[in-house]
Amino acid sequence: MTTTEAPHLPFDRRNALEIAPLFAKLRDRGPLSKVVTPAGDLAWLVTSYEHAREVFRDNRFGRSHPEPDTAPRISDAALLSGPTGEFDHEERDHKRLRRMLAPAFSAPRMRALGDHINELTESCLDDMRAAQDANPGEPIDLTPLLAFPLPVMVICELLGVPFEDRDYFGSLSERISILDGGTDGETAMEEFKAYTLALAEKKREDPQPDVISDMVAVQAEDPTFTDDDLARQAAGLLFAGHETTSTRIALGTMFLLSDLERRDRFVADPEGQVQQTVEEILRLSATSATGGLLRYAREDVEIAGVRIARGEAVLVSSDAANRDASVFADPDEFDPTRAPNVHIAFGHGAHVCIGANLARTELRTVFPALFRRFPRMRLAVGIDEIVVRNDKIAGGVRSVPVFL
Amino acid sequence: MKVTADTGKCVSSGQCVLTAPDVFDQREEDGLVVVIDAEPPPAQHALVRESELQCPVAAIRLLDA
Ligand code: SF4
Repeated sequence: MTTTEAPHLPFDRRNALEIAPLFAKLRDRGPLSKVVTPAGDLAWLVTSYEHAREVFRDNRFGRSHPEPDTAPRISDAALLSGPTGEFDHEERDHKRLRRMLAPAFSAPRMRALGDHINELTESCLDDMRAAQDANPGEPIDLTPLLAFPLPVMVICELLGVPFEDRDYFGSLSERISILDGGTDGETAMEEFKAYTLALAEKKREDPQPDVISDMVAVQAEDPTFTDDDLARQAAGLLFAGHETTSTRIALGTMFLLSDLERRDRFVADPEGQVQQTVEEILRLSATSATGGLLRYAREDVEIAGVRIARGEAVLVSSDAANRDASVFADPDEFDPTRAPNVHIAFGHGAHVCIGANLARTELRTVFPALFRRFPRMRLAVGIDEIVVRNDKIAGGVRSVPVFL
Repeated sequence: MKVTADTGKCVSSGQCVLTAPDVFDQREEDGLVVVIDAEPPPAQHALVRESELQCPVAAIRLLDA
């Protein structure tokens, strides 16, 4: 591959609710395009829905690399920027991880967690009310009062991590996800692993009904699951609880508030509409600053007539696939009545996000609660003024100023 | 409509349960899919079809009556 003419990621977009127009232009030319990653390496970008699903389902693509030192990278963040795992037993390791985590994220556990998520949400809404009352006439920021703390509280509970440590691991999460984080990102990752490993040590003595204790139990039976594996996975999960759902809460609120008639329609029957509204928020909220989810070809593969050589990087853009007009009519329109709405916001195939149900449970709780409590809520600034964080892995926004 | 799910393929993603909770569930021990209504009433058919499309590993099979 050569770098001539390949467009550079991240692509420019007008505001947080849209995606870069270049994705659609590339898709018109073909389902796969050569791009230059934020790290300056070449990768294939998949923009079509059909081929995104195909790549996600094809086990000739993986997250590991035959020669990790020469692998193309997508950024200099300490996380998700290059190959992970061992090429020779990637599938075995992945299966073990899924098995280990599946019980904690299963539907029965999510149902059991539901009431608690409700309580946590209500307490965040109380904080929003108090912040507004303390400064009447001034906008309040939804991010530090709701979008950020709620998912963090929930993931802490699920993993068995003390919420009191949030400022500490919150700053570690921040540092490992900065796209040009470089050596500071690496240092933070090591610190993060030391932190989760110390938690695991405590749970070894005193196991609790939480995911880190589950991991410790697996390790007792399977010594190939090393301390380093455990620490990295736990840090990864804790990190994931920070950015992804938080971004969806922020962007979802912005979608609902960007058109007051849309807000009022939702307010008229939040419970009745929430399931489909959440799916539409998931479909449209673009959260990838790096272009997509990273895969490496494990062997030479041909997709849509394009030959991908062993070891080449493929970025699957769920953001672009979810706006593919061949699958979604008027793809850029926010339409909560879409049915079916089979978006791939959580990926697809064997690696599909294990936290999907947790995220859905949180989102299905938060939006009805928020709009029942504050039915007249409105944005304090225009959508175009809310800055997208292109320097972070999950994109997202720094603040969402609202009036209650 | 007859619904079956292949637990050998299932990766415990729970997409089916969240889409059609009257038809699918997951086992608590390992998150594997359980079909709780193998012959769902017509009112459920659209959701079941959506679950089939959503299943990330094509573990759900439908036989239209
Ligand atoms: S959607 Fe498919 S993989 Fe996920 S739980 Fe249901 S059957 Fe299993």
